[in-house]
Amino acid sequence: MSTDATAAIVHTLRERFGDKLYCEQPTLTGMPVLWVRREAIVEVLADLRRLSEPFEMLYDLTAVDERMRSHRDGLPAADFSVVYQLLSVSGNRDIMLKVALDERDLSLPTVISVYPNANWYEREVWDMFGIDFAGHPNLRRILMPPTWNGHPLRKDHHARATEFDPYTLTVEGQDKEQDALRFVPEDWGMQRERDGAEFMFLNLGPNHPSAHGAFRVVLQLDGEEVIDCVPDIGYHHRGAEKMGERQSWHSFIPYTDRIDYTGGVMNNLPYVLAVEKLAGIQVTDRAATVRVMMAELFRITSHLLFLGTYLQDLGAMSPVFFTFTDRQKAYHVIEAITGFRMHPAWFRIGGLMQDLPQGWDRIMQEFVNWMPARLKEYERTMMENSLVRDRTRHIAAFDTQNAFDWGITGPNLRATGCDFDLRKKRPYSGYENFDFEVPLGSNGDAFDRGQLRIEEMRQSLRIIQQCIDHMPAGDFKADHPLTTPPPRERMLEHIETLITHFLQVSWGPVLPANESLQMVEATKGINSYYLTSDGSTMSYRTRIRTPSFPNLQQIPALMRGGFVPDLVAHLGSIDFVMADVDR
Amino acid sequence: MAYTLTRADDAAAQQSDRYPLGERQRVDDPMKQQVHRSVFTGKLEEVLNSAVNWGRKNSLWPYNFGLSCCYVEMTTAFTAPHDISRFGAEVIRASPRQADFMVVAGTCFVKMAPVIQQLYDQMLEPKWVISMGSCANSGGMYDIYSVVQGVDKFLPVDVYVPGCPPRPEAFLQGLQLLQDSIQEERRPLSWVVGDQGVYRAEMPSQREKHRDQRIQATELRTPDSV
Repeated sequence: MSTDATAAIVHTLRERFGDKLYCEQPTLTGMPVLWVRREAIVEVLADLRRLSEPFEMLYDLTAVDERMRSHRDGLPAADFSVVYQLLSVSGNRDIMLKVALDERDLSLPTVISVYPNANWYEREVWDMFGIDFAGHPNLRRILMPPTWNGHPLRKDHHARATEFDPYTLTVEGQDKEQDALRFVPEDWGMQRERDGAEFMFLNLGPNHPSAHGAFRVVLQLDGEEVIDCVPDIGYHHRGAEKMGERQSWHSFIPYTDRIDYTGGVMNNLPYVLAVEKLAGIQVTDRAATVRVMMAELFRITSHLLFLGTYLQDLGAMSPVFFTFTDRQKAYHVIEAITGFRMHPAWFRIGGLMQDLPQGWDRIMQEFVNWMPARLKEYERTMMENSLVRDRTRHIAAFDTQNAFDWGITGPNLRATGCDFDLRKKRPYSGYENFDFEVPLGSNGDAFDRGQLRIEEMRQSLRIIQQCIDHMPAGDFKADHPLTTPPPRERMLEHIETLITHFLQVSWGPVLPANESLQMVEATKGINSYYLTSDGSTMSYRTRIRTPSFPNLQQIPALMRGGFVPDLVAHLGSIDFVMADVDR
Repeated sequence: MAYTLTRADDAAAQQSDRYPLGERQRVDDPMKQQVHRSVFTGKLEEVLNSAVNWGRKNSLWPYNFGLSCCYVEMTTAFTAPHDISRFGAEVIRASPRQADFMVVAGTCFVKMAPVIQQLYDQMLEPKWVISMGSCANSGGMYDIYSVVQGVDKFLPVDVYVPGCPPRPEAFLQGLQLLQDSIQEERRPLSWVVGDQGVYRAEMPSQREKHRDQRIQATELRTPDSV
């Protein structure tokens, strides 16, 4: 990332838009954060998309309820702010734009005309904050049930389920809820018939074997052909962002595990890295390397799960039995090291929960030795299988530009041939010290997405091998006052250390007021945590940008004109989990 | 052993408007009364009941239904290393109409609850519910606006499997506990035999059963070596 070039972009924007930009906010996000006047936002975004190294992707769009925030020195007055984060793949840089809103006039223009993937993000902001986007074609709830009252991420909305009456389901309520979920084609601008022939509307989900969890997509069908479809999400919304506002910095870590629940400690990584930026902690080489090793191990288990279910969706029943056997072997290693299988929550602010146990390298080596032959077998039996090829080649294919339009990142972006892997482009946690390649696809179809992940597993094995061979010695926790929990050996040295220890463990650390952001190349694409600290023991706002959300928004654009079996193949090839979509 | 009776054609069931429908009452083992009436028919019914229950418990068809993380561990139990077919429960059904039991594996969301109820209603009797994982048991770590604090707020649950997520072995244990309780059940042998209620045995608490043994543990394995 060239900071000079980024500064030049900000300078040009200032010249062009003058007083339409308020100010630049200093943050720890590693990108310029500009406050833009509401009237100018569409224009500024359009301008940034037209640069010679354009911001091709609307990476994230969210909002913040600023009403309770006390540390806002130098920022424009705002009750709510809407945050646009753009990503330039060609320039490998980011920019963040913020628009201040008054609570009496919570409205701003939609930016769908500039970035099509703003559609769902704007719906989410409407659902969670009640901010209106003028000109949005379908501004309705996306995560909460249609019958919900209130906007959960507002500071005056209750957080806990136990804060109001216990949940009851009555016969009448059941009918009402079911009725509210009924799909009405006219609401989505769909025709019920064409040339006298009626379309069939097929409701796939919210519980369907190939929907990979609680995901619903309504298909408008002409025979087997998908004319159009409407994905419906929100059946897995666990309120993780609201949870971040009431857990201490430390006690939020277990919740991150459950965002992309196949990714385990991979989810801890962006969160703890973002917190460490706020705290100013530099972790030890050993901690960083162990983190990389465990994250890559989880990448392998996640990809194995993907491979098994992807092939099963294509009709191959056996692979899932093989890949889960491999996963069991990986879990043997994970459990020996972290003490838990799926959600170890093993990373800590400033390091790890504990050091590697004796003998870890032997079992890890056993796993690394076991995998290559298996991967070769999967490739030979499945990916070279003509049935698998026929079902997936040129199915649900999209090009790099389409991926940018919809905010697709990770393996699905690389399957289109775009070489953008954060581990190479913006190394974090010491990835620059590792020797590995970034596998690329060429057609961006369902086949490439599967094949590419097999290759990614090989590269992850290479990284793990390097960790085994060159694991640095040293502490597993950083020597810093905000490391949580603080090293226990010092606790009983004198009263001061005991008090600090007690406060940090009971209240949690107090982080300085600021904003930070960390992206990582997670199992399914780029996952990032955008944290706002108001100088307290808890986060003021935790924004979790997940890679699966954009993939589901893209489905209608890809499936129009396809067939139902293609949709199933595509759903299998995306590799999404609903917790990663709805959070 | 104490039993919980749910009548099939309970007038109260028609009037109650809150799920789970039907009225439950604690009763004694209905078989005992039979024995007092006639030793022969009592024994005959007991033998028949045991035979039917034995058949039921050893061919439980699970409904392929998953919500969140727990479902991954549930699927792990279905695959080769854990092999659920050892317990006769490997015939996964994609339709609730063909399934015998439903595992609520994952968080029960407010938006999903009516859907879960609908799917449960579509299952045919005899049917059972396993609540898998802390979220389904009680909301777990998600005391948050969008989560129902336990699926038993509207579904009748037979077995609770603790854990976040429970290991596949824990799920398999839950399945075996369900089998044990099915063996003790008293269901009408036909629509003309006996009274048309479902008698579910109140199974002993696992926590109390194992407490003495667990409390004996004085040394835990160190995490410092593999």
